[in-house]
Amino acid sequence: MKINKLNEKLNSLYNGKVSAKEDEYSIILTGELESYDDILNACNMAVDKKSHKYVVNNIKLLNEVKEKIRIPSINDKSLDNAHPDVLVIGGGISGTSILRELSRYDLDLLLVDKECDLANQASSRNDGEIHPGVDLKKGSLKQSYVVRGNRMYDRIAKELYVPFRRIGQYAAFCEWWMFLPLLFVVLERKYICGVDDTRLVGRRTLRKLDSRLNHKFTWAISNPMSGVISPYELTIAFGENAVQNGAKVSLNTYVESMDLKDGVIECVHTNRGNIYPKLVINAAGVFADDVAEMAHDRFYSIHPRKGTIAITDKKANYLINTISSVQSVKKNKNHTKGGGTIRTVHDNLLLGPDAVETRYKENFDTQRNSIDNIMAKQTNTVEGLKRSDIITYFAGVRAATFEEDFILSKGKRTKNLIHVAGIQSPGLTTAPAVALDISKMAVEMLGDVKEKTDFNPYRKGIPHINEMSLEERDAYIKKNPDYGKIICRCEEISKGEIIDALNSNIPVETIDGIKRRLRPGMGRCQGTFCMPLVAKIIAEHKGIEIKDVCKSDEDTKIGIRNKGENE
Amino acid sequence: MNNYNTIVIGGGPAGLACAVKLHKNNVSCLIIEREQYLGGILKQCIHDGFGLQRFKEKLSGPEYAERFVNEVFELNIPFIVNAFVVSIEKKDGYTINVSTVEGIKTYTCENLVLATGCRERTSKQVEIHGSRPKGVYTAGAVQHLVNVDGVIPCKKCVILGSGDIGLIMARRLTLEGVKVEAVYEIMPNPSGLKRNIYQCLVDYDIPLYLSHTVKRTIGYPNLEAVEVMEVDEKLKPIEGTEKIIECDCLIVSVGLIPENELAGRIGVLSDARAKGARCDLDFETNVEHVYTCGNATHVNDLVDYVSESGEVVADAIRDRNDSERKLIDIEVKGRCAYLVPEMIDVNKKNNKRVMYFRSNKILKNATVTMKVDDKEILRRVYANLRPPEMERIVVDYPELSENSKVVFEIEEAK
Amino acid sequence: MKELTCIVCPNGCELTIDEKTLEVKGNKCPRGADFAVNELKAPSRTISSTVKTSFKDVPVLPVRVSKEIPKEKIFEVMKEINRVTVDKRIKSGDVVIANVLGLNVDVIATSDILLNEEHYGKH
Repeated sequence: MKINKLNEKLNSLYNGKVSAKEDEYSIILTGELESYDDILNACNMAVDKKSHKYVVNNIKLLNEVKEKIRIPSINDKSLDNAHPDVLVIGGGISGTSILRELSRYDLDLLLVDKECDLANQASSRNDGEIHPGVDLKKGSLKQSYVVRGNRMYDRIAKELYVPFRRIGQYAAFCEWWMFLPLLFVVLERKYICGVDDTRLVGRRTLRKLDSRLNHKFTWAISNPMSGVISPYELTIAFGENAVQNGAKVSLNTYVESMDLKDGVIECVHTNRGNIYPKLVINAAGVFADDVAEMAHDRFYSIHPRKGTIAITDKKANYLINTISSVQSVKKNKNHTKGGGTIRTVHDNLLLGPDAVETRYKENFDTQRNSIDNIMAKQTNTVEGLKRSDIITYFAGVRAATFEEDFILSKGKRTKNLIHVAGIQSPGLTTAPAVALDISKMAVEMLGDVKEKTDFNPYRKGIPHINEMSLEERDAYIKKNPDYGKIICRCEEISKGEIIDALNSNIPVETIDGIKRRLRPGMGRCQGTFCMPLVAKIIAEHKGIEIKDVCKSDEDTKIGIRNKGENE
Repeated sequence: MNNYNTIVIGGGPAGLACAVKLHKNNVSCLIIEREQYLGGILKQCIHDGFGLQRFKEKLSGPEYAERFVNEVFELNIPFIVNAFVVSIEKKDGYTINVSTVEGIKTYTCENLVLATGCRERTSKQVEIHGSRPKGVYTAGAVQHLVNVDGVIPCKKCVILGSGDIGLIMARRLTLEGVKVEAVYEIMPNPSGLKRNIYQCLVDYDIPLYLSHTVKRTIGYPNLEAVEVMEVDEKLKPIEGTEKIIECDCLIVSVGLIPENELAGRIGVLSDARAKGARCDLDFETNVEHVYTCGNATHVNDLVDYVSESGEVVADAIRDRNDSERKLIDIEVKGRCAYLVPEMIDVNKKNNKRVMYFRSNKILKNATVTMKVDDKEILRRVYANLRPPEMERIVVDYPELSENSKVVFEIEEAK
Repeated sequence: MKELTCIVCPNGCELTIDEKTLEVKGNKCPRGADFAVNELKAPSRTISSTVKTSFKDVPVLPVRVSKEIPKEKIFEVMKEINRVTVDKRIKSGDVVIANVLGLNVDVIATSDILLNEEHYGKH
């Protein structure tokens, strides 16, 4: 679409309140509108995939209350005057997988994240599916990485000691007449898109595979290579393996601004000192466009899209063994909604996520109607699913661009910058493959970089005593009695494992930090029994009082005072 | 020696009473307790009022528990603590594998008593939404923090649910200098004992709002406020009644659920009404030689009954003969929330049997009957029946057969 | 007429008492009548709490008052309770504060937890 034509359309819709202009890389919208829906609509109208230009949203929202981004309260100089070869901004799946890939090289690496743990945002708030890529049409970056990424997972999971299972995905349909159209899709995906595990299965096969699936399903697109992983455990594992190989990770570290000279980032200001990197990798998730702005290279915009997920009690896991979803013939927009039912790698069922546009990047509030929608869809997928089986729910925010594709690119105007932006589903699947290409790009940009001879791809994880045989478990306890003392009764986690997590190379000595690494608090009691016990172990380990143990961020101490102390 | 006639899983008030009685009945037994010390949840229930029925005294939780614990010590009844049951295998009796700090230990027994207690329903189970901030706890978790760890978690709190633990914690926190803003209860009637409303809320001028619920939490990473709404008679929130209450802590006390995960793993069936393991009048479950007692069977409101059920089990094990079991279900009718036990083994002697029930509604002058083949064997009129208050009856059953029809009914006064 | 809930036992009888004649209605037992009269003249309560200890394994020890105390003294007694630190491994029933505030009531320990190491050994 020509820019004039777009302006005409915007004009007639919004009475001149919005206008578009373009430059070499972007179509930029400015103006002011009364509703966020209108802003989204205007931006979506401006998307022009043929021109390969990105939509930049500079439209103001009338009477907007600006979102207050959570930033760490720490102020120190622990990173001051650091001169890393590469500074990675963002400790999600993208940032950590790239960091790990770069740690193969003889480089000084630093990753910073404003959060108190790795994977605190989208990388822990997603469904953990390793996608088959069957839902993607040819032509997008997403599509070009998805199958490659998927196939890397057996090795990645083994090297990083993260549980992973290929349990297969079924996208199911109720209509008999869908046979031919589906066959067409399957053949196209298989032979043109390269999703070579795709096949069409009929109701009988489907029922044999997973007997509790809705009886009305007639056909399903089956992808046996689909898998499940714990996305936060994987992110942490990438980070830990990178640290093991010499990289540095600094949490609670917020990038405040950057100094540039002649299109080169010279200094990155943070709450923990000034950093002088040779190269910056922007993997800041929903904040990628903000980081791009600081780097004078904002040629795209992120529009946050919230997804809510519900988790069921393990008692309900007999209902399904796979990843399944009901598909509607009605045309969806270019992003998926309502999600599926997934048997997670820890044997809970995961329901969702849905998809709701939100103005706010850190809008993690769940809402009742999201659970209503998820249940409405998933009870249609799996028979016998009950709302009372749900033990928890949470929301994450996708970092979508208006083009709904990844941005994997060198800086357009800034020279020592790489963007890894717009990463949303299937970003977890593509991460290892993207990391390979980005690290190559980085190495090229840095020039004259040697590969290490002593890179160790294997991460020593924490033994899961509840998965061991009795003999093995007995031997572990004999070596260290703490493995015999069960702290979390729902997930059967021992004190020894908790101490192992506290001794890891990216220790996060909080209730939530331990929860993500080992799962105490993720079971059916949701931490009501084990929270005080975990707090006590952390307190003993750190040599602090129980009241000073934090749930998550540094200002989330579980106690305000001790018994008898003055109010 | 790792073989016992009976293994009691759980060293709380039910398990302890059962073990002490078993010992006195000359039945060898072992208590397996997953926590560091015996006593169960009573260890953290430091308020008084326990044991009024049994000891005619108002004891604190630890005092009540320690009466039994001290007997265990004195009688040298075997027990292991920090011991977590990993698996149970059924072969010539039961083989139980336990994780302890010394390694995996294996014990065998003929009879198994599941005295595993209950756990709390969480904020998620009553659909409180928000961002999972710090400051949202169940009443039991706060009780542990305050009474065991000596940690005061907040300045200003809101309590959701008028169950007894919530009421007790309202008073407890007030004494410790915490401002308790209010207690909200979704039902039109309080769910705790009346005397707790009086001595925990009225005494300290803590308001109780009935037909109100907490819809969502506000704030992240710390709780800053909660949104409260009024509900209609169908418990649906009424639009326009939203109120924001500032607080740094939300305590949910929204009920307890019998813990029967172990039971489920060995095939013990749960009751849809009482939520615990189904059992016959000996408190023996559908799985032979497996017994249930205390809050694992149903959530009691008095610990005295918890201990009593443990003792019923101990006597049943002593008197056990291995005649073939023939189980029939007791039919429950009318305004009954649940009746425990739920089944009768018609091959056992069933005279003078202790049973517990609750009504599902506040009733005045209600009639409670037990009929065998349409013949009334028990009839009692209650001036007041309230769902929060469990009632105990002793029923003398006549000789029964497989075809006997046993019906329990609570009738509202016309 | 004043309405009360009896707190003597779990029955929680709903009582009414005539402020002039002190006639009590609604009680199932004589203790209820005594309670109502007391409640009108000089309400009293037992309180339970904890006291700090100097022991790392048991940071707080459960206590209660040995007899009921006047209701209006509750927070004053709590202040006394908050002032104490137990530094001996005392047992249940031992006096923590004798004759608190001169009320002829002791604050007593209600648990043997300080003796747990003795009973269970160190873990």
